[in-house]
Formats: sequence, structure tokens, C-alpha cells
Amino acid sequence: MSCCDSTPSEQYDLSKPINADDKRLINCKAVDVNQLCPIKYQWAWEHYINGCANHWMPTEVSMQKDIEQWQSDTFSDDERKVILRNLGFFCTGESLVANNIVLAIFKHVTNPEARQYLLRQSFEEAIHSHTFQYVTESLNLDHREVFNMYHEVDSIKGKDDFVMSLTQEVMQEDFKTDTIEGVRAFIKNLVGFYVIMEGIFFYSGFVMILSFHRQNKMVGIGEQFQYILRDETIHLNFGIDLINGIKAENPDVWTDDFRAELSELIKEAVSYEVAYAKDCLPNGVLGLNEGLFKQYVEFVANRRMQRIGLDMVYPNHQNPFPWMSETSDLAKEKNFFETRVTEYQSAGNLEW
Amino acid sequence: MAATALQSATDIDLKIRKRDNRLVDFELTYIENALQAAFDSAHDDSLGHEIFTEVKKPLLEYVLTEIQLLASHNEEIEVEAIQDLVENALMKLGHYKVAKRYIVYRENRSKARSLRGENKAKSSLKMKRADGSMTPIDTHQIKQTLYAAAHELENVSVDAIITELFTSIFNGITEAQIGSAMIMVARSRIEQEHNYSIIASRLLLNQLYTQVMGSTENSPNFVATYISTFKKNIERGVEARRYSSDLLGYDFGQLEAAMKPERDHDFQYLGLQTIFDRYLIHIEDVRIEAPQYFWMRVAMGLALNEDNKEVKAIEFYETLSQFHFVSATPTLFNSGTCHPQLSSCYLSTVEDDLSHIFKVIGDNASLSKWAGGLGNDWTNIRATGAHIDGTNGKSQGVIPFLKIVSDTALAVNQGGKRKGAVCSYMEVWHYDIQEFVDLRKNTGDERRRTHDMHTAAWVPDLFMQRVKENKTWMLFSPDEVPELHHIYSAEFDAKYEYYEKQAEAGNIKLFKEIQAVDLWRKMLSMLFETGHPWITYKDPSNVRSPQGHVGTVHNSNLCTEILLNTSKDETAVCNLGSVNLSKHTKADGLDEQMIKKTVKTAIRMLDNVIDINFYPIPEAKNSNTKHRPIGLGVMGFQEALYIQKMSYESAEAIEFADSSTEMISYYAIEGSSDLAKERSPYSSYEGSKWHQGKLPIDTLADLVAYRGKNIEVDQSTRMDWNTLRAKVKEQGMRNSNVMAIAPTATISNISGCTQSIEPTYRNLYVKSNLSGDFTIVNKFLIDDLKALNIWDDQMIDDLKYYDGSLLEIERIPENVKDIYKTAFEIDIECLVEANSRRQKWIDMGISMNLYIDQPSGKKLNEMYMNTWMKGLKTTYYLRSVAATQIEKSNIDLNKRSLQPRWMKSKSATAEVKTLPNEINDSLEGLNPAANACSIDNPDCESCQ
Repeated sequence: MSCCDSTPSEQYDLSKPINADDKRLINCKAVDVNQLCPIKYQWAWEHYINGCANHWMPTEVSMQKDIEQWQSDTFSDDERKVILRNLGFFCTGESLVANNIVLAIFKHVTNPEARQYLLRQSFEEAIHSHTFQYVTESLNLDHREVFNMYHEVDSIKGKDDFVMSLTQEVMQEDFKTDTIEGVRAFIKNLVGFYVIMEGIFFYSGFVMILSFHRQNKMVGIGEQFQYILRDETIHLNFGIDLINGIKAENPDVWTDDFRAELSELIKEAVSYEVAYAKDCLPNGVLGLNEGLFKQYVEFVANRRMQRIGLDMVYPNHQNPFPWMSETSDLAKEKNFFETRVTEYQSAGNLEW
Repeated sequence: MAATALQSATDIDLKIRKRDNRLVDFELTYIENALQAAFDSAHDDSLGHEIFTEVKKPLLEYVLTEIQLLASHNEEIEVEAIQDLVENALMKLGHYKVAKRYIVYRENRSKARSLRGENKAKSSLKMKRADGSMTPIDTHQIKQTLYAAAHELENVSVDAIITELFTSIFNGITEAQIGSAMIMVARSRIEQEHNYSIIASRLLLNQLYTQVMGSTENSPNFVATYISTFKKNIERGVEARRYSSDLLGYDFGQLEAAMKPERDHDFQYLGLQTIFDRYLIHIEDVRIEAPQYFWMRVAMGLALNEDNKEVKAIEFYETLSQFHFVSATPTLFNSGTCHPQLSSCYLSTVEDDLSHIFKVIGDNASLSKWAGGLGNDWTNIRATGAHIDGTNGKSQGVIPFLKIVSDTALAVNQGGKRKGAVCSYMEVWHYDIQEFVDLRKNTGDERRRTHDMHTAAWVPDLFMQRVKENKTWMLFSPDEVPELHHIYSAEFDAKYEYYEKQAEAGNIKLFKEIQAVDLWRKMLSMLFETGHPWITYKDPSNVRSPQGHVGTVHNSNLCTEILLNTSKDETAVCNLGSVNLSKHTKADGLDEQMIKKTVKTAIRMLDNVIDINFYPIPEAKNSNTKHRPIGLGVMGFQEALYIQKMSYESAEAIEFADSSTEMISYYAIEGSSDLAKERSPYSSYEGSKWHQGKLPIDTLADLVAYRGKNIEVDQSTRMDWNTLRAKVKEQGMRNSNVMAIAPTATISNISGCTQSIEPTYRNLYVKSNLSGDFTIVNKFLIDDLKALNIWDDQMIDDLKYYDGSLLEIERIPENVKDIYKTAFEIDIECLVEANSRRQKWIDMGISMNLYIDQPSGKKLNEMYMNTWMKGLKTTYYLRSVAATQIEKSNIDLNKRSLQPRWMKSKSATAEVKTLPNEINDSLEGLNPAANACSIDNPDCESCQ
């Protein structure tokens, strides 16, 4: 059936047991959206299970060493700025994502297994917001300053305004996904939040914070970010699967023009992100400068575009930060007495 | 081709921009002149004109090839670039001295020009000096340092390091930051080539030498300076109250003659960084110890009471500095200092009394301060809801106190060097055990969670039987069953069953009947989720203890390898050290004479600790001087297997685990007995198992007798135990306990070997510790893959993609895959079997990690049941793998799959088509890497 089939639902008997085949990611009219099983989209369920197995809480991580370093003269003014800007971006950024899920997209995703993941993800966004509350509290930062940065710092405001405009569109009273335009607007929102916000905007912040971790500084925040990054990897992959799933079920939306429009959207986002990097790093700090970030952001954007079936638009960069292998790519063997082990899973997954 | 390079030199179409900004045509004479200048500048090394003419041709050819490459991308280049090429060519073709002089020559010319006001600063970047003033960054100096650090190393590209370094430094960087940036850049390439870690080590050594003796390895008379500064720095250290003044009593002439500065290069980067950060003594952050001073200081501290202390100190130094045997961290930290707290572990038991509870918490703080790890036994504390006579109220049980223990551990770090570390033990019949098991959960009431404390369950055999038979289990409050915790084996079983009947008869107030298997599963679930509580077995620990005649083992320690009696008056102490098996193994097996020598020295060093030790609390001194236990362990076991090309899963490997432990045990017991002859037996020797003629291998029979059935472990022997038994009977023992296998987490890093008896974690992974993250690549594997000619970029990429596992990499032959199986891939039965063979020979325990790669309760149950049935005394962490990972940022993931590797279910993403990157390269003519590296160009040597 076509994507935008607006056949009235009265012709379906929603009280009968469902057939998994009739499930649709959006615009599902044939079956009851409350029935999780039988499952059609196993991938969504798998993301959900993985998310649960990764459960963590920010309070598990000791901030002691960070507090000592923050209060000492370890950091230059430039370094402090980098840390503060990133806390400022993330502390509200996570809320924007949560709000987009709960207030904008949830009601339009008409599949219970995908919704199951959305609920899990919203909770994880809450945990991430909790993390920034915990970090700013531990370091005794001025909450009013940090949490208000997205109004006061232009480069953060630029990014946030950009994605919030996408939320606005889907939140309109009369917004529906049963037209080609509606599906496109919806995909645009998903690209904006999953690919751009969580897939690009978050990543230069991650690099900046992990670059301190690499120097064995702010290791508590570094560990928090490693947990967050692990969650974000699933968020991104779920988002990409959702976008590609909707595309597959609604092939007529995926025209050259629409692809070009999305590419432009991502290019615009990249320019915001480069501006943000520039703003965070006016003089550069060890291992980081604006030029490297431009390369990095473009590298990440390329990778994201490929995954949703867009052509890469940037030169084929390598990741300019080879040290990220050490801080995030490779499996870690942690010394239990010196750092906290992040590899455990929740025992809910055990089968006896 | 090089041969044509010279001939076609005239065809090169390139303009040279001179310093005065004039543009001239390229001519071969520029190169000749530059090379001539280089050799001329080195004239005092007798490398004059004749020699230049001899090497001129290859050098010219080399430079021309590079220039042709440059010319293909550029229309004009600066004259400085030509000089850079010459400098590189000199390095590449091995004319290091000439290159060095040439760098200095260029530098001097540049200074001269600058004095004449001609220099237009090549780099606008400035560096901040310590005094806050700014100065241009000296790029030549940086290059010179890097070339020297890469001297004679293969497969490394200094140019790549320089490029990355210069893109990542910034205006206003400090000198120290440049130093650490050089190391960080080298480090980030270790995954590609192990030699980068040697570069990092050399850079770090020179930073260290600058602090310690104000010169570097490149300075003239470096070795003489190294040796002569030793005594000076000891004196400085004594004056600054870092060292004990007793060190000044040594004859330094003898020590200096024995010191071998070249051994500094035996450290691997991780080891060096570890001692640099935390072990080398410093005065206000300026280190006064070079690595060999450090070993000598430790050795001197341990030989203080010896009659012939210089000779003994040198013997100890030789053992340590070659990594044959390395003492545990507290000894390395504190030997020879004003507070020689040298012991690793303290074990105490807490009485059911408020003031004693807080006394032990206070003791924990004092012991932590001086780098000891702690094991506390909390089983005696009355349970939640138990009656308190004094106030006529009800007890809140153990948990709230444990929260304080956890917070204390955090508050008192080990002298600022390590996090404080404590493990709390509870026997599994305690009424509060169910909550105890939850202590490490990441949900629930934070007031009842202990994120900074470890937990372990003390498990009697009877409980395991009840689990096996699926029977009930009863929980009690210790105030109503006061003997239970202090008795074991048949006596315990009878008493426990008696109390069960009493409870059923209504004679016990506080009790709870549960299914044994429910508690067991809860413990295993929590182990899986949080790594805790560790499972430790009460009965084998007591039945086989040599010291049953003077007390009870109530708990183990922080790392579950120490099993000693504790009481209100005795806080057990153990000092540890480990023999590095990899240094004693040849392709055909262990070198017995070498083991004998190392173990004898090691036992002496460990025994010396007891008398020199600074005891932070009197209960520790009391216990240690009475019983004198020591714990000799091993490390580098996995490497010893690699050396012999054995798979950890093979029968030979298990046999080797058995025979190597037997040999070490034999010489350890002999060593302690010989010391008893020399120095007298320990004071509670009378009545001990040793005294009864029972060696550890003989006590296995006691466990068999108690269990009423054989323990499934091979019991054959290879050494002449009868002779040793007779010797012990005649001479006695110097130490109540001699062996325990510790985890060696940090000293194995220092020694550059694999941890303890652990299998390889992964073949490529990151080690995280207090010094940061370190990439570890299995160098044995790389050598084997190089020999097979399959070590290339694709292989590195595969290793990263598969997280250091070889199983799915098709190009690797099966026999190689077998040898390099990782901890998660080795059949866990084999690990348990190997350890049960080891345990036979050991009077205390083994810190043994278990591994599980999938969430299966069934497997967990089998695994742990097996550890008990095979007679192990303790287990340590359960290591598992996370469900998902952080997206890998440094390999081309999309090329492999658009869905992550862990996803079992296909999504629509799997159907998405992507343009290969190569096509994308040609898009819009964009190629940012034009002057970086073109892998297809066979003439480019930058990465070959």
C-alpha cells in the first residue's frame, strides 16, 4: 500500500487479533497500536533490549578527582571555557531531544515496538539531563549561568534554534503524516534530531570533553560521557533505522529533490557546528582547534549521510583525531580499583 | 624510480621561493649545496668531503625522488622545504650525526638571520615560558627531539607525528604541554605499530632525565652524570624528608658500580608512564628518581637490616631491575622512605560492638593512608531487627555501617596515589545477606548503596550442597548463633543444622528460611550486573590453612588471594610480590635454576619487609611479627604460554600451570625453611600444619576427607617433595604462609608483562587506570602475523573492528587463532581447571577472574559450581561484556555495514546503498590529503 494512504480506519476491525505484517511505522491504520506482540520490527525491540541492558546512573561515577582539578589551577581560561560551553550545550540539548520525542514524534510513530524504544530513549535523555545536573552540582557551577547558556551564547542558540524549528513544525495542531508533505516533514524532523542533533551536534562536544579525558583530566565527566556516548550510539542507530524504515514503506517521498533538501539541511547544520567549535576554541587548546573540528564535523556528517542513503557532500576526510581509538573505540580493561567498570549489563537479561 | 631521478633532474619544473621572496628555477646544485653544507657542518666528526662523495649519489637520488613528488603537486616551494627534505633524507638513510649537526647548523643560520633582522618568522605560533613570557615555538628543536626518539626504529613515520603535532598545538601553549603533546601524538599511533610506544618511552625518559639530573640522553657524558647524580639525589631526598636517613649508611661506590642505566630502556611505555606518574619520588613535582634509582632505592630499603647490606641490596636490585621478581606496589611506593609501609593487604574482623565498629573504620583510614588494601569481616554484626540490650531498641543491621566504610575509602585515598580500596565480607547465613548482595546496584536507595566499596560473600560448603540439592537455607542474626562464624567443616555443619532445628522449635527470635538456590541466583545475578559480591569459599580456605591451630580464617582480602586468621587483637597483614614467569621461560619450558635463584631472593625480600615495615596500627604489628606470612605470586603466565606457542586451552598449558606453580611453591617453601634456619622459625610455628609435616599439597587430603569425596583434580607431583618435607621438619618455617597469587594489576604494567595468571583480555584493547588510557597490542601476535606476511593495514582495521578477537578474521590460520584466544573465548572450564591445579600447591589463594560473554544464568551457575567442586578457595571479579559499544570513530564502519556489528535483526538500513568512498574522492575534485599521503604511490616512503 502506498505511504500516504488515507483510507479511513473504519473499514478495519481493530478488535481482531493482529497480523504482524499489517504493522506500519507511521500511518498504521490496519491494526491496533497497543499490541506489542507479535513483533514485526525486531530491530526496534533489539535496540530497546540493548538500551535496558546498558542501564546506568550518573551518581555511580565519582566526581572527586574532577572537583579537585576544577578547584586547582589545572586548567587555563580557554580550557575552562571549553568545558563550560559543552556543559551549557548538553544540559539543555538533552531536554530538547526528550521533548521532541514526547511532544512531537511519539504520537505519529504508530508502531508499539518502535514506541517501546522511544520510551526507553526518553528515559535515557532524562538520565543524561540528570548527569549534567549532577556534574554542574558537583563542580559547584552556577546553575543559572550554565542552564541559560542556550539563550545567551549565540553559537549554542544557533544550533538549538535550528532543531527547535523542526520540532515546531511537527507540533502544529493540524500536523499529519498522511500526505507526502507530511511524511517529508516528519522525516526532516527525524533527520534533524537523530542525524543532526544526536549524530552531529553532540559529537564535537564529545570530542572536546574526551580530549581532556585523554590527558587524564576531568576523568569523572569523561566517564559520564563514555556512558552517554554508548547510549547515543543506539539512539542514532535507532533513528537511522526508523528513517530508513519509513523511507522503505513510503518510497515515493524519497525523490532527488527531497534528498537534495536533506543534504542542504545537513550542510546548514554543519556550518552551525563549525561556528560552535570556533566559538568554543577561539585560541585552540591542546589537540583541538577550529580547523580540525571542521574536518571532524564534515567527516561525521559524511558518515551519517551515507547511512540514510544520501551521497556524501564533503571531501573524504579521515578522522583528524586518531586518539579517539584510545578514548572511545577500543574495548577497555579497567582497573577495578582505579576506575569504574562500564561493561556490566543489567541482570534482567539473564536466562536461567 | 631512483635511478632515473638523477637523470631527469633537469626536467623538474619547479620554482624555488628564496628567503628574500625571489622566485628562481629549481636546479640540482641547490640540493648538492645543501647536502654539502650538511656534511661540512659535521666536519668535526671527521665526516669530510671524501665521505660525502661516497654517499652523495644515493642521497641525491633520494631527495630528487621526493622533490619530483612535490613538484607534481606544487608549482613553487620554499627553500626551507628543500632543507627539510635534505634533513629527512639524512635521517632516513642513517646519517644521524650529520643530520643532527645539520639541524643545529640551520638553527644557527636562522638565529643569525634573525639577529640581522632578516627572519620573517616561519611559524607565527608562540610558546609560553614558565615565567609567562612568550617566545616563538622552536620547530627545529621539536623535530630534532622527535628524530632522536625515533632513531633506528622501523615502520614509524616521524613526519606523520610532526604533521599531527603541528596541527594540534596552539598559540600560547606551554613548553610542558608541547612535551606531553609529542608523547600523546606518538601514543595515538601505537595501535598501528608497536615502535611508536618506544618513541613515547624515549620522549618520556628525556623529560624525566631533565627533571632528575638536568640533562638528557643526548647530552655528553650522560652515563657518568646518571651515576653521579644518584647519591646527590638520595641526599636531597633525605633532606626533604622523602627518604629515610638510613639510606645514607650505604657505601655508594658499590651501588653505583652495580647500577645499569641502560635498563631504563627495558621499560615499555605504559610501565614508564605509570612509575613516572606515581612511583618515582619527587620534591614538589620535580622527580628526583630515574628508573634505576627507583629500583636501587627499593632494594636499599629492603636490605637495611642485612649484615652485608650492599651485597644484598645489589642482589635485590638485580632481581627487580630485570623484572624477574617485582615487589607489590606499597613496597615500591614506600621502601626506603620515612614511612616504610610496605604491605599490600590488611584483613580485620569487626566485633559486634559500636566502639569496635568505629575503631575498625578508623583503622581502615589509617591503613589506607599508607597504601594498604583492606578486607573487613562484617559477619559478627547483629542483623536488622535484632535486639540491642543497652537501649532496648532494635538494630538497623550492618548496611548503614558499610555506607560509612565506603565513604571512608573515598575520603582517604592512598597517600594521594591510589584510591582507597576496601572489600567487606559477609557469610551467607547472615540475616542481612540479601541486602548486602545489593550494595553495588545502581538503583535503589542511595543511602544503602556502596559504590566505592567492594563486597564478597563468604560461602560455607553446606550452602553449596543445599544449592546443589535444591534445599532450603536459613538466615540468622549472629548474636543468636555466636559460634557459627568461628567454626568450619563438620563442626559448622552440625551446629548450623542444630540452629535450624532450634529456629523451627521457636527458640530463635530472628531467622528467615529461604531457598538456597534463590540466594545463589541473586548473588550470581548481582555478580553479572555489578561484578559483586565475589564468591569465596570458607571451608577449603580453613581446612587447608597452615594456621588452624591458632585461629580461624574469617574472610579474605581486597583481592581474594590472602587467607589469614583475624581476631580482635590480630589484624592480619600480608606483603606480596610476584615472579615474572615470562622472564624465566624459554621456548622449551621453564628455566629451573633461574626460578630457584629468583624465588630464593624473593622470599628473602618479602621476609625482610616484616621487620622493616611501618605498622600504622598495633594489631597489625602483633599479628605480623607473630606469624610472618608472605605471599609470593606469579605474573606473565600468558606470555610464558606465548613463548612456548601454547594455547591456554591446551592440555600442555594446563600441565604448565600445574608444573610451574609446583616448582615455584617448592623453592618458596625451601627458601622460607632455609631462612628459618638462618633467622629462626616464626613464633607460632609449633602445632602448625608445617610442623605436622603437612605441606600445601598434603592438606588437599584434609579437604577430601571433609567433603567425603575426591576433588576432581590431578594430584601427580614432579619434584622431590619428601626431601623438602624432611627439611621443613628439621629447620621449621620462617613464614606461616608463603604463597598467594595476586592480581598484579599495576606491577605487571610496570614490568611490561601480562597480568598474574590471567589470559589475554583482548589482542587489541585499552587499559584504563589512574594514569589514563593506554592502547595495548599483543606484540606476540603481531610478530606471528608479520612472519605470516599478513600484518597490514587491513589486519589492523580488522582487529579494531572485531575488538581484538581473531575468530572472524578469515586470513588468520586456525592454529594462530588457538594460541591467541582471548579471555572471553577460552573455555572457562580450562581456566578453572588450570587454577585448581595451581591451588594444590598454594597455602593461601588465587585471585582468579572469571569471564562470561553472554547473559546466561545457566552458564554462570555451572561456572561457579565448578570452581567450588574443583577445590578452589576463592574467585574474584566476573568480567562480562557490555551489550553495545560506542560507535567506532577511526575505521570506515560504513564500508563494513550500515548497521552496528552487534545487531542481530536486520533493518531497512541494511538495504541502503552507499557510494564507495573512492568514488566520492573524485567528487568536485576535492582532495584535502593532496600533500599528505598517497598510499598508491610506491615511491612515497612516508608510511613504509
